[in-house]
Amino acid sequence: MTQVLATTVVVASLYALLAAGYVLVYRATRVLNLAQGDMMTLGGYFLFLVAAAVPGQPALSVATAAALSALAGFVIYRLLMRPMAGHPIFAAVLVTITLGILLRAAIVLVYTDRIRHPLPLLGLANPPRRLPGGAVVSTFDLLTVAVAATLFVGLFAFLRLSPLGIQMRAAGEKPLLAAQRGINFQLLFALSWALAGFAGALAGILYANNVRLDPSLGVLGLKAFAVALVGGLDSLGGVIPGALIVAAVEVLSVRYGDPLLADVSPFLCLLAMLLVRPWGLFGTREELERV
Amino acid sequence: MARPALMLLAALLGVTATVTPALAQYRIGMSAAITGPASSTYAPTYEAYKVYFKRVNDAGGINGQKVEIIYEDDRGEPQRAAANAKKLAEGSILMVNASTSATYKPFMTESETEKLPLLFGGGVCPREAFPPASPLIFCSTSFGSKWDSRFALGFIKEQAAGKKVKVGFAAQDIPLSRIELEFAEQLAKEMGLEPIPVVVVPGNTPDFTPVAQKLKDAGADWVLSWALWHVEVGVFEALHRIGWQGSYLLYGHQQTQDELSRLKAGNLYAFGGNTLFMENLPIHAEIANLVKGQTTHPAHYMAEGWVSAMVLEAGLKKCGWPCPKDKLATALASVSVDTRGLRGGPIEWTPDNHYRKSTYYQVYRWDSSKSVTAPVGGWTRLEIK
Amino acid sequence: MAFGGGYFKTTYAGDLALIDTRLRRAALGLLVFALIVLPRFASPFMLDLVAQTALAAVGALALNLLTGLAGQVSLGHAGFIAAGAFTTAVLVEHRLPSPLLALPAAALVGAGLGVIVGIPALRLKGLYLALGTLALHHVVLYACGEFQSHWGANTGVSIPPPRFGAWVLKGTIAWYYALTAIGGLVLVLSVNLQRSRAGRAWMAIRDREIAAESVGIDVARYKVLAFVWSSALTSVAGALFAYQRAFVSVEAFGFFLAIEYIAMVIIGGLGSALGAVLGAAFVTLLPYGIDAGVAALRVPGGAEYYLFPLKFGAFGLLMAAFLVFEPQGLVGIWRRARNWVVLWPLRYRPLRPAS
Repeated sequence: MTQVLATTVVVASLYALLAAGYVLVYRATRVLNLAQGDMMTLGGYFLFLVAAAVPGQPALSVATAAALSALAGFVIYRLLMRPMAGHPIFAAVLVTITLGILLRAAIVLVYTDRIRHPLPLLGLANPPRRLPGGAVVSTFDLLTVAVAATLFVGLFAFLRLSPLGIQMRAAGEKPLLAAQRGINFQLLFALSWALAGFAGALAGILYANNVRLDPSLGVLGLKAFAVALVGGLDSLGGVIPGALIVAAVEVLSVRYGDPLLADVSPFLCLLAMLLVRPWGLFGTREELERV
Repeated sequence: MARPALMLLAALLGVTATVTPALAQYRIGMSAAITGPASSTYAPTYEAYKVYFKRVNDAGGINGQKVEIIYEDDRGEPQRAAANAKKLAEGSILMVNASTSATYKPFMTESETEKLPLLFGGGVCPREAFPPASPLIFCSTSFGSKWDSRFALGFIKEQAAGKKVKVGFAAQDIPLSRIELEFAEQLAKEMGLEPIPVVVVPGNTPDFTPVAQKLKDAGADWVLSWALWHVEVGVFEALHRIGWQGSYLLYGHQQTQDELSRLKAGNLYAFGGNTLFMENLPIHAEIANLVKGQTTHPAHYMAEGWVSAMVLEAGLKKCGWPCPKDKLATALASVSVDTRGLRGGPIEWTPDNHYRKSTYYQVYRWDSSKSVTAPVGGWTRLEIK
Repeated sequence: MAFGGGYFKTTYAGDLALIDTRLRRAALGLLVFALIVLPRFASPFMLDLVAQTALAAVGALALNLLTGLAGQVSLGHAGFIAAGAFTTAVLVEHRLPSPLLALPAAALVGAGLGVIVGIPALRLKGLYLALGTLALHHVVLYACGEFQSHWGANTGVSIPPPRFGAWVLKGTIAWYYALTAIGGLVLVLSVNLQRSRAGRAWMAIRDREIAAESVGIDVARYKVLAFVWSSALTSVAGALFAYQRAFVSVEAFGFFLAIEYIAMVIIGGLGSALGAVLGAAFVTLLPYGIDAGVAALRVPGGAEYYLFPLKFGAFGLLMAAFLVFEPQGLVGIWRRARNWVVLWPLRYRPLRPAS
């Protein structure tokens, strides 16, 4: 039983890292970045790139990979998403999907489809750890939980306490007013994309070391977006309960129920949420009308 | 409204017009999953073919004629495969399919309509290649459904040495894997082993621990897995992590050599039909030399494709020149190829059996005392009836 | 669509006609003639491409009905296609392979699915509707996957060629004629729907829902009707898929298929039947166009492998380029081109005269 609990928390942390990216981008630009999963993969491959070039330097590799991903997020916003301003939201979402295709093609072009393992290149190991209560998780499982927690605390602090964060929230809520107040909201949108890239990279780096790295990891992103929706697309706080719920349903259906349901279960949660409470657990109510 | 649409259509079609082929060559068409989710398994076959037949052509060709192979990417998608089949069938004497089983039907239909021999060079062999074989369907792939399970369970029984063992089965949620392991579960019962019901693993699951828990709680002494590599190994790693002490037998794909030395686990057994390159036979060195700088995948991924190319070359040699497609089909139906150590034995086809007369399996395991991947026992031979 | 020229309609029938001018009639006649005689000049591969385009156009037209006309964004298109294809598969498994049964059955299943999706969809708008349909797509695929594992052979269900009494539909040329004819029929149906009462109601709902409601249009009824029409047509397209490929397997209906259809509708131009057809042609033929373009390049031996992911990436790049630079789609380009031709040497349309 404790094992199921432990696995749920680990899986939820991974989903939370990805969902944070969705929420950050949605809050700022109202676009659903369906390429978040591929940005996670990109982060993992950046890590592999640096680790292969300078093996045995975990801190340097992780920092560089995260920085490169943040930069990628910035560039993606500037080149691809900013020209889509004013277009219907749906077209912007479609552009993010094509972005996902592009990212995957670029990764395969450079690295082919072989499964990669950056862990030995970093000179680290991933031994199992026994938790009180009998559950066993791997070291990187624990790291995932720790990193997710730290990231969320950091994001909360940033968005609530720092001036830049408050400006970002303002720009996300009412761009026109924010612009008239003198806030450079384009820069803040780009920053939110960079943060999303950063969060995705963290997820990718942790997963690549914990399990494997291959170009098709992006499918996890689709599951994580169900998490973002359940929690509320514009609520960072909602991500945590959303992730726990979706992860719990998935893990329980594999362990005790029909494992085939596990792949569909995030979407069933999503559907249920959409029918009952479309704005998620903690999202803002506004834009929804009923017939 | 109608006119510019027609113009646009005509322009796009004009761009895709094909060129008529030269005639004095063996013309083969190959459709492989070079990109797409399945490409890690099938793209090496495409590269092996390229290198192999480049060498053949540089040495003057077969029977004095060069071999021209047209390569198409189908990404494992049935629609592209259907279009490729039509395109490749024009003017070819044989088609090769190195792609997922979803692409088989269009090729089999095209083969039947055009009376074109069809060689499966890396994907799971369709029923039509086994006795009684369809005259046009051939398969050189090292693994085969049902025969893999027969060997695997035989190996487990041998390792159990008389003790009663509980065998668990870890299948991926693709029909191929589930059907194979459900067959294995049945067979295990008949062979006197104690099977645990098949556990199905969703392919995109982020954490394999719940699956591993299921198997551990059921008390499995051995676990057999026959699926895509990342699922096979994911379940093993999760089992290892939660402290399971049993032994794990999985089908070894191209990644076997690299992964066994990465995992360094004494209780992980990988079985397959291809000899691992670490055994360093002369043929391995030859392939490594030829492949250097020519391919994006390393040499030890090339075994499957190389054997398939060898069989095709033997068939073309036997056919002679000129070689129309019906003559090629007859030639292939009696071909016998010495795999020079890449497989456990020769590939021999008869008019009734287009898989092979006997199939050979070898098991590998990490030997921690010598810090190297080593074979476990010798080659096991199963006769295909 | 008068251009201020000398075309006057003197009868009601003339006013209602789809093809009203002599020039249009001549062009249409030419197109139909060209399509009929095409098999004499084109290779089987090209005919297959046209057939594939026609089939894709059926799906794109159906999606255009829902997303372009009625404004209901749907990402679950692949699920409806799968539903139609698997309806055919189920019937085949029960030894009822006749298309005369399968096509109507697929339409019914699609319509039913449309009601099931449409009613809850009334509660959702915009992005949430899109995501809801996406979730539904996964659920439908799961159900189809389960069916396939229990009844299908190893990897899918084989569909025999469609048989109408004694005559069997097989061969590239026969399929080309069949699919082009069906595509033409669906095109006419789509254009007529656009001009009908339902079509006008849909456009009103798309443009300003509250105003539509206040004018007396039953928004709920028409929204569900849009889903029903769209999914019925899409399921028929799915059944045709099943027959044409002679094989039904759940892997063929992944998320990427839904993306392709959305791309067809958006790249073609939302809300226009011509746009849907052009978009279908573009998305279907683009990979082959890229193949041909890349084949023209000389590439050293070892680097040939890289061409394949490059082609895949080029597809994404071209789609993105279209979305960013041409928001009105191919129809926008066509309209600009047409206006240029019609107005030359003038550049701008004259203001309407007071009469």
